[in-house]
Amino acid sequence: MSRYISFRDFDWLLLMYVLMICALGVTEIHSATEHTKFAGSHVKQLYWIAGGLGAMFAMSLISYQKLLDGVHWMYIVSIASLVSVMVFGQKYLGARRWVKLPGGNHFQPSEWVKLILILAVAKYFADMQSRELSWSDFMKAGAMVGVPMLMVLAQPDLGTALTYFPIAVMGLFLGGLSWRQAGAVLLLGALMMPVALHVLKPYQRERLTSFMSPEADAQGSGYQVNQSKIAVGSGGIWGSSNGSQTHLDFLPVPQTDFIFAAFAEEHGFVGALGVLLLYFMVLVRLTQNAQTAPDRAGTFLVMGVVAVLSFHILVNVGMVVGFMPVTGIPLPLMSYGGSSVLFMFLALGMVMNVRMRRFVN
Amino acid sequence: MAVNTARNNLRLYVLSGVLVLWCCAICLRLVQLQIFQYGQFERKKDHEQQRTFEVSARRGIIYDRAGNQLAGSTAVDSVFAIPSQVPDLAGAISLISRITKDDPRETLARCQAAKTFCWVSRKAENDISQRIRDLHLRGIYFQKESKRFYPKQELAAQTLGYVGMDDQGLSGIEREFDGQLAGKPGKMLLSVDARNNTFSSVEQQPEPGQNIVLTIDQQIQYIAERELAQAIADTHAVAGTVIVENPHTGEILALANQPTFNPNQTRAVTPASLKNHAVSDIYEPGSTFKLVTISGALEEKVTNPNEIFDCQMGSILFNGMRIRDSKPHGLLSVTDVLAESSDVGSIKIALRLGDERFYKYIRDFGFGSQTGIELPGETRGMTKPVSRWSKVSIAAISMGQEIGISPIQLANLISTFANDGVAVPPRIVAATVEPQTAPKMVAFHPAEGHRVISSETAAEMKQMMRKVVLEGTARKAVLLGYSSAGKTGTAQKVDPATGAYSRTKYVASFAGFAPINNPAVVVAVILDSAVGLHQGGQVSAPVFQRITQQVLEYLHVPHDLELPASRQVLMATQIHDQDLSDGPQDHVGAGIGITEDGASSQQVEASNNAGTSAPASQVGIIPAAMREREPVTATPLAAPTTTSQPSVAQPISGTVVLDVQRSGIVVPSFIGKSVRAVAEMAQESGLDLDSVGSGVARDQSPPPGSHVAAGSQVIVRFAR
Repeated sequence: MSRYISFRDFDWLLLMYVLMICALGVTEIHSATEHTKFAGSHVKQLYWIAGGLGAMFAMSLISYQKLLDGVHWMYIVSIASLVSVMVFGQKYLGARRWVKLPGGNHFQPSEWVKLILILAVAKYFADMQSRELSWSDFMKAGAMVGVPMLMVLAQPDLGTALTYFPIAVMGLFLGGLSWRQAGAVLLLGALMMPVALHVLKPYQRERLTSFMSPEADAQGSGYQVNQSKIAVGSGGIWGSSNGSQTHLDFLPVPQTDFIFAAFAEEHGFVGALGVLLLYFMVLVRLTQNAQTAPDRAGTFLVMGVVAVLSFHILVNVGMVVGFMPVTGIPLPLMSYGGSSVLFMFLALGMVMNVRMRRFVN
Repeated sequence: MAVNTARNNLRLYVLSGVLVLWCCAICLRLVQLQIFQYGQFERKKDHEQQRTFEVSARRGIIYDRAGNQLAGSTAVDSVFAIPSQVPDLAGAISLISRITKDDPRETLARCQAAKTFCWVSRKAENDISQRIRDLHLRGIYFQKESKRFYPKQELAAQTLGYVGMDDQGLSGIEREFDGQLAGKPGKMLLSVDARNNTFSSVEQQPEPGQNIVLTIDQQIQYIAERELAQAIADTHAVAGTVIVENPHTGEILALANQPTFNPNQTRAVTPASLKNHAVSDIYEPGSTFKLVTISGALEEKVTNPNEIFDCQMGSILFNGMRIRDSKPHGLLSVTDVLAESSDVGSIKIALRLGDERFYKYIRDFGFGSQTGIELPGETRGMTKPVSRWSKVSIAAISMGQEIGISPIQLANLISTFANDGVAVPPRIVAATVEPQTAPKMVAFHPAEGHRVISSETAAEMKQMMRKVVLEGTARKAVLLGYSSAGKTGTAQKVDPATGAYSRTKYVASFAGFAPINNPAVVVAVILDSAVGLHQGGQVSAPVFQRITQQVLEYLHVPHDLELPASRQVLMATQIHDQDLSDGPQDHVGAGIGITEDGASSQQVEASNNAGTSAPASQVGIIPAAMREREPVTATPLAAPTTTSQPSVAQPISGTVVLDVQRSGIVVPSFIGKSVRAVAEMAQESGLDLDSVGSGVARDQSPPPGSHVAAGSQVIVRFAR
């Protein structure tokens, strides 16, 4: 089978879009961290991207079917790694998310657990023979995603935990979730909402937000969103860089979670629209790959990546423009951060993997 | 599989649709934020990052006629807070208040009200601002502002006035010329980042205000103030004022008031000490007003100086009112009526003149209208038109009752006689000059004068006033080596409680000039409510004598009378001193210690020209040249010189103060003392301090123990 595999079938166009987004991210990281203690982050980001590219190519070589076959083991290992974080993890900013590796690097298992979950969900629904989704399937798939999600939530890292959610939703939706079932679940969720809000006391709700964004400034809980909106708004059509909120340090973490705000300030409406268009192209390209996948598992796999990626983009950009509350969800490919970059390239590697094997059957 | 794929494809489209909708929503949001609300966010950003301040311009300097600074400005720190950046506002304010000794609650209330900007301590002394700086508080910043400083402390305080916290002029010249002195404030843009790093830039340079040169001479001012203060101490008068004027040009050379204040410390200022009595007081002149009565009668030729009036042994019944002289007189010539200040005589003379003509002279001499001197709050006085006169008014006014005048009007009256019958309105501002150029030569333009009486009448009046001093009520106004003339006045004050004349409160005045021929100065002295001795001839004439004597010597007016033998020796040394100075005698009065820039030679020329063109000026030593109605190059102004006169025991060449009792100040040792202590010591000993540097006194000139004239300059060099 493997002799049919060729890098000619590699999705070079998709890779081009991705690298363009990465390049914009690197320049913005450079601009936002210049003259701060984070200066030089863009160089580290370049290393991460290079590493990510390597990981992507490596990932595309191993057949995804083989990966799916061994997914049980991977799932067990990922649960174990989350447990190890709970036990040995480094406590930083009030949350236990990182494991210190020998050599001084930090490793955040919750990122690659995402990858395993995509595989696991794909495998589960691909193996399901029934066209209709039974309630027991629903519960099993829910538990598969729900257990690691709760563990991450306990770190506490609400942002990352939330990114597991779209994996389950996508799987259930494509796996044959009937409209009636969807309606029932939505209704239940809507009913749970006021109960949850009622149970949580105001300070607990606020603490919850501080879990999501422990860097939140003491100047009021709306500070970050406010600053972000000011930064985006003052960019205007063509952008401005003189005396910007980003450069004067008003904007919090402009190189990670709020990189889109920094970019929108510096490059204006035109720049922001351009970036959104690139992301859209990436998503369109990914969806096409899902449709041309050789089997159900491949479709589920690619759509799992689409789900995670689009969730990241929508929540992050929504937060930046003031649509969503502040959650610690970075903008994939642009935001500074090794774990995030590695995850994205590994996920893309899986997509390439599926695409390269589209004519196998 | 096919069905499955079809269904999957449908679901993919649904998902894609949701995705596209979300993207559209985001895009619309971006349009809203970045295009429609752009201006609003831009403002928000500026509001957060930038604060614009007004930076006050350096206020114009006020100089005396010789270029000495009477009011200047120094740069000091003002402390302000950006309350939103101060983590613990109440704590920070209380820490600062402990240093500044301000009320912390008041400051805190202000800072809580203003989120973006509030002053914590304006114009703090340098040591205070340094201590606040050392606290290293977040959100507390410093801004240089200019603070008004009066280097001569109380000198000419009412004339100069003082300023408020924002350098706004609140009285005196500071208020009258606020517009010129203030300049245009600049704008400072302060950018602040979230970590409290500040980047400030000047958006608009402040334009410094114009400088003002006064006609005041600080030495003469000093003499006047010292003698007035002494007189107040001796007589226990509640207030007093002294005016020294050049009768030919109307230049006010000194204008002293008591009580006084220190414009550097305005917290303790009381309304009474702020009052410039010379221009804002209205008082009944009493006998000095007989000058108007008699000069009017002489000008109208209804009498002559030698005509004899029967003074009816000091009592007259006029329209049912009985008026008594303080001393019974029989037959008196008009000259003696003035010399003895007979009320009966002056009533009879006024009756000759008649209501209408008398009123015309009252107005012609300037009573009932402002002199136009450049000071705020000048009064017109109180005069009634003839139509409102009662039957006895002419009698009352002839001896200076039923009429209110100001001291400056009195000085103007005397000046008219001294200036051959031409009244030149008094002026106190010589010029306003541009801030950049250091004032060197300023042209003083005397105000337009007008003739009130003929020069013959004026000459007759001068001789009669001379007799007042020689034989009449003002013998204490006799000068040594100079002829003098004048008139006393002792007016009962109207008791505000009863509306009747008080028996215990008098306004004692003397106004006169010297020397008789070509008078150099007019000096008016008015003391309010002296205790004990209260008559003008007793209390005010001696003050006139002391001031005029010193001023004439200071101006190097040549003596027109023989000096008593005992004084000859002293005079000889003075002449010797004069010979040592390189300029001709003429220039000395105009400038103090100006020996550079060629200013002095130009000035000498100007003075010489003036001297030759005005034949009457052979006496010559007049503070400014004296041609009328012509711009006169009055005064060379130079920056106060410190190095041009090294270690001269008498910085002012040839000045000798004749009054032996009051002259010959022994210079104390200032070495090792602080600036403040030195300033206080100099003030006490009557020396004019010129301090150089800061820290502790290291060096002084003249050296300790040397004898110098009162008001001489002492240069003290400070170093750390």
